[in-house]
This record gives sequence, C-alpha cells and structure tokens, in this order.
Amino acid sequence: MTTVIRELGDEQRELVLNMGPHHPSTHGVLRFVLHTDGEVMRKAVPEIGYLHRGLEKIAESTTYPGYVPYTDRVNYLEAMFANEAFSKAIESLSDIEVPERAQYLRAIAGELNRIASHNITIGCITMDLGAITPFVHLLRERETINDLIEALCGQRVTHHYVRIGGVAYDADDNWLKQVEKFLNHFEAIIEELDNLIVYNEILVKRMADVAVITADDAVGFGLVGPNLRASGVDWDLRRDMPYGIYPKLDFDVPIGAGEKGTVGDCFDRFVVRVRELKQSCRIIRQCINNIPDGDIIGNVSRKIKPPKGEVYSCVEGARGELGVYVVSDGTEKPYRVKWRSGSFSAMSIIEHISEGLMIADLVAVIATLDVIAPETDR
Amino acid sequence: MGQLAEYFNAIGRTILTCSDGLAVTFSHLFRKPITIQYPDRTAKPLTEMLPERSRGILEMDQELCTGCSLCSKQCPINCITIDVQKNAETKERILNKFVIDIGKCMFCGLCVEACKFSAIRHSKEFEGTVSDVNRLKINFVEQPAPVAKPKKGEDPVLKPVGSIIRKYLADQWAPAANKSSDTNSGGKSE
Repeated sequence: MTTVIRELGDEQRELVLNMGPHHPSTHGVLRFVLHTDGEVMRKAVPEIGYLHRGLEKIAESTTYPGYVPYTDRVNYLEAMFANEAFSKAIESLSDIEVPERAQYLRAIAGELNRIASHNITIGCITMDLGAITPFVHLLRERETINDLIEALCGQRVTHHYVRIGGVAYDADDNWLKQVEKFLNHFEAIIEELDNLIVYNEILVKRMADVAVITADDAVGFGLVGPNLRASGVDWDLRRDMPYGIYPKLDFDVPIGAGEKGTVGDCFDRFVVRVRELKQSCRIIRQCINNIPDGDIIGNVSRKIKPPKGEVYSCVEGARGELGVYVVSDGTEKPYRVKWRSGSFSAMSIIEHISEGLMIADLVAVIATLDVIAPETDR
Repeated sequence: MGQLAEYFNAIGRTILTCSDGLAVTFSHLFRKPITIQYPDRTAKPLTEMLPERSRGILEMDQELCTGCSLCSKQCPINCITIDVQKNAETKERILNKFVIDIGKCMFCGLCVEACKFSAIRHSKEFEGTVSDVNRLKINFVEQPAPVAKPKKGEDPVLKPVGSIIRKYLADQWAPAANKSSDTNSGGKSE
C-alpha cells in the first residue's frame, strides 16, 4: 500500500491511500483512491478497468448465437439475465416469437438466479461488516440452487440456458417438484435470516443512516434495481416495462422505507434485497403452478441474420436494469454491442456519497451498492 | 439522562439480538450436515453424482464422425481443429485429425447441438489437470481412417459417456516414454 501525505496548507493536510486492487473487502479487482483526513474521508475515487475483457469488441467477431455464451461472462452471478437481455434484443430485432412455456422457464430460471445472486450479496454485506456465519448459511442455499440449475442446463455458473428464440432445455415435472421442495425449505430460511442477522443490533448500527442516497441523487446518477428502490423510488422493470411472462404474475416490489434510519441508507439497500428473496419465491411458485405445455424454442434458423437496424433491450437483473444495445448491419455478426449494467452506475455514485464517511463505512457502501467488478468493466 | 438510557438500551438490544442469532446457529447443531467430503469420501464416483445434462469435458467418437465440420463452424472460439483429406485413388475422405483444445473450450455446448451424428458430446469428467497446457489439446483420431458413413434411419451406437475421454485423461499423467504418441501429436503440430 502506497501512502502519500499531501500538504495543502496548514488546515488541509490529507493522506492519500490506495484501497485495492486486491483487497479482501472489495468484491473482485476494484481500486479506490482514498483522500482522508484522519479517519474521515474527503472523497473516495473508484478506479475501474482491471477486469476489462473486451466483451463488446468480441461480439463484432462472433455470430449471434455464438455470442450468447459470452454473455454469461458479463456478470458471473447473474448469467441468466445477461443471456435473456441479449436474446430478447435479437428476438425483437428479427421478430422471433418466444413460446409461452419458454417464457415461463425463463422466469423460473431467472428468479432462481436472482435468489442465488442476492444470497451472495446479503452474505457478502454481512461478511464485510464482520459476521461470517450468515455468509456460510446463504452460500449453502446458493449451492442447492446451483445444483438445480445444473440439473436443468448442465452448468452451475455459466448457464448458457436462455437462447435466441427460447430456452435450450426443457424442464420435466420432477425438476419442477424439486424446485418447489427447495422453495418450501428456503422460505423457512428467509424467516430464520431475520433472526440470524437482519435485525442484529451491531449490523443495524453499522448501516443505519450511513451513506444516505436521496431519491434525486439516485435517479440523477442512474442507479437501478435494488439500489434505486432502496432510495424510495418505486421502479421495477418487471412491473413497469413488462416483458416475458411478468405481466401475468402477481408480486410486490419492496422499496426502502427507512426502517432503522433514513430512506436510502445502507440498511435500506440491505433489507430491500432480503425482502426481494421472498417475492422471487412467490414468482417461482406461480410459474410452477401455471406453466403450460408446448415448445421451448421458437422458429429460429441456424444462421441468424437480423435485418438492418438497432435495438435496446433490458431486463431486471439482480443488480437492476441489465441492458444491451445491438446494432445490426444485416450480416451474421453484430456491428456493435454495448452493455449497460447496474454496477457501473453504482460505482459512479461512490465518489459523490463518500464525502465525510469513515473509512470503515466505505466497505459497507461498496457491499450494499453490490458492485461486481466484471460487470463494471465488461 | 436520555442519552445514558439509550446507551444502555442499545447494549440490551445488542445482547438480545445476538442471542437470537446464536440460537439459530445453535439449532444447526441438530440438523443434518450437507457437506460432501470431496474427493475421497463420496458414496460413489463424483461423475456419477452429477446430473444427466452436466456439461463436462468434450469427447468425440471417431467411429461416428463424418468430418462435416459443423461443430467447428459453430464454435465461437475455434477450439476444434478438423483435418479431412480426400484420398486421390479411392475418393474416400480420410479423417486425419480431430483436435479439441480443452484449455480453450468454454463448455457452451454449441458444437454438441450442431452435431447431427452424435459424434461429439459432453462427458461428465471435469478433473483435467495436466502438467503442461499443451497436453490439453487432445487429438481424438488414433489412426487416420475413412470417415463414418451413417445410413439414414439407423441409430448410432453410442459408447458409454466418458469412456473415450477418460482414456486420454488417464494418459496425461503417464510417463512420457509410455505415453501414446497420438495423444500429443495434434498439439505439437499446431
């Protein structure tokens, strides 16, 4: 760790500290340059780019179906949503109809993925603040979800399940029963989680009233998903810009209410995610009860050549709006692909809210904003 | 006075909520553990515990391959190299080389879906450590031979899943002298 003391006049001495790129409490390879005055921060400037893999440029040299497995790598915790966003873009560009059963399967797989992702997030938040037990408990539940998804599509993390025009594999009744069995078990775990950690006074004190993001700031910086909802803005793409099967489903959108402090503080961002677990369970149950028989993939030719044009498609991922902008020039390969991810905007607000925070609180801010490095850099 | 009361209240709440959490932790003492003692204390071999669709290391059956290159065209990262030559006299197509670079493969399964003859498929093997990354380029053609000519309506005879790749993977750690030269020739000539 390099440290620099800057003399800015008698009263403005500041210590410049490097946090990261390899630091146990940053998720992945993130780097922050901290300008501190004692224990209090003047500002924390995020540096990104350590995990840049050129996913957008790669798209220009692969075919459309060949790019779908690459989308698994946009964010390693929510591969389903990235698959779905890209597939949805190509479907709307070339007018491919998705069968109803495929849409139900997308919703089931997506919500399972959301639960798995939130399990990691909630676990990491508590672990970063010093409680390791909940992380282990939640990782155990995620492992069951990974097993379920592996039984469905063959891979645990890089699913490559949602394809252009539908989904890759059908689910049999036995699998759906297993999912239901898991939900029965997991809903009890959510209740247990409240006792285990959510209302733990030490955790509440660490997060309540820390790093408050007002609704105006949240909208201004383009926060999405749970981060935006925690600031009291009632916006969920599944309900407000419906796609797939979501208009037929009945679910609530939890928003931050300042339960232990101010609306938009770290605790709200944490608790919104905990509440979303239950809603995801509700969605999966409805899907399992109503899933129709039928095809799982629409009429898609092996060589996909969308007509000239451009499209933006987005889905509500675990970190909010995961969008992809695709320009087609009428050939087999995309002309341009651009990703828009929730972690990137969450990263950009850190400099704004970090003024006056304690250094230890920055860890809570990064954790509750749910910044995932590969999604930031792509 | 109010501040002092709040101070002690907070301590009280901390003790209460922490014991709530500890009660949950304690209850786990009486639950069934789910940990699997990988790798040597599993009830059966781990590959048999994986689900049916599990996508492991690719394997190719030479007796079924027609050398059509559909798989290598579908592969987004070009990790499959196929060499088919036409014999000038007999006009037969000879499959010389079928190399899959497992070190490059991203297990997306597009090649398996493209193959109409069930020649290439995922095994359930996933333990493929080798001492040299070039050894992960596996040539599935033991002896150059004419390509398969499947008749219409005839079901292909499939070998047990994993039986082909297991042989090559076992070979990887054999001493260099005993190692069959075919396994590595594909990699070296690349």
